Amino acid sequence: MSEIRIYRRPMAARWWARNPTYRRYMAREASSFLLFAYALTLIYGLWRLGQGQAAYDGWLTWLASTPALLLHLLMLIAMVVHAVTWFEVAPKTMPKTGLPERAITLGGIAAAALGSLFVVALAIWWGAWR
Amino acid sequence: MSERRIRIEGLRYNPEKDTQPRLQTYDVPFTDDMSLLQGMQYIKDHLDGSFTFRWSCRMAICGSCGIMVNGNPRLSCETFLRDLLPGPVRVEPLENFPIQRDLAVDQGRFVDTLASVKPYVVPAQEKPLSAGPHRQTPEQLAAYYQYSQCINCLLCYAACPQVGLNEHFVGPAALTLLHRYNADSRDVGWSARADVANSEGGVWGCTLVGYCSQVCPKAVDPAHAINQNKAKSALDYFGLRSLLGGAR
Repeated sequence: MSEIRIYRRPMAARWWARNPTYRRYMAREASSFLLFAYALTLIYGLWRLGQGQAAYDGWLTWLASTPALLLHLLMLIAMVVHAVTWFEVAPKTMPKTGLPERAITLGGIAAAALGSLFVVALAIWWGAWR
Repeated sequence: MSERRIRIEGLRYNPEKDTQPRLQTYDVPFTDDMSLLQGMQYIKDHLDGSFTFRWSCRMAICGSCGIMVNGNPRLSCETFLRDLLPGPVRVEPLENFPIQRDLAVDQGRFVDTLASVKPYVVPAQEKPLSAGPHRQTPEQLAAYYQYSQCINCLLCYAACPQVGLNEHFVGPAALTLLHRYNADSRDVGWSARADVANSEGGVWGCTLVGYCSQVCPKAVDPAHAINQNKAKSALDYFGLRSLLGGAR
């Protein structure tokens, strides 16, 4: 018997453009580049601080310039996209708690959320006014 | 009542004649209760007997009739022509698989990797037959039941860009079966299939696109099954798994 001839369809370079789920996925992944840029911006500021007051003030002046503000606006949008899209897939990645299902109640979730909020508020208060 | 028709564009590829696939158009009369599969069967019975596609049960159980419908992976038996109006309807073979003829693909990639995930219970304890059945609590059943509903239709492979981009990726359905048996209380668990999960094409081949879980006709959620194992694989990598206790 002769070998069956098969045809392999090539994958389009822009495969991600044709499906909304793929586009959302690419937005999630691509937004990480702008997050990286933000991290670099902060690290650069730290480096300038190490060089003395004048260098640090120069960095602060640059932060207030129009291009820097525009860049920060873009980075903020990327941050929101990144956070929202990752938050959406969190239920798929979270390991099981091992708790029985009936142990997780609406009241328990609300109490945990309020408790976390309280801890965060306490941390901010301690950081700002201690 | 006048007869209603819908246009179906089918991808055709004859390995004996064609060097590449082409599209062929058919006008198919239909009624409200007709599935896309029935429309394709009309083509085969009345318009063109050489039009090739797979099907068997006609009720979303056998997993044979998966195709791309207007670019999305679907079971043709549970897709209705009335929902595809006004048409035309583009039917193509499942993406990321080599085409054998028309809509029939070579499923070798899935079948060849299936054995590697040991898709059967590797017993935690050998019990003699006389000891009776292994009993499970409803919670123990719930831990794997959803993943045992896979019908191997391979829509998730067609939905997964990583299957197309990374030839070593084990793939959504096989990795879901890996999780199905790992999560079974009768099974040894993680250690039985750790080599596959930790491999280059294992759970880390998944980049969490998530489209597999959207297209699954049985609501199996392969993305969840695969990503549940990433935490375990990471613990394995740092050698922490045995430290935290247990092979499960």
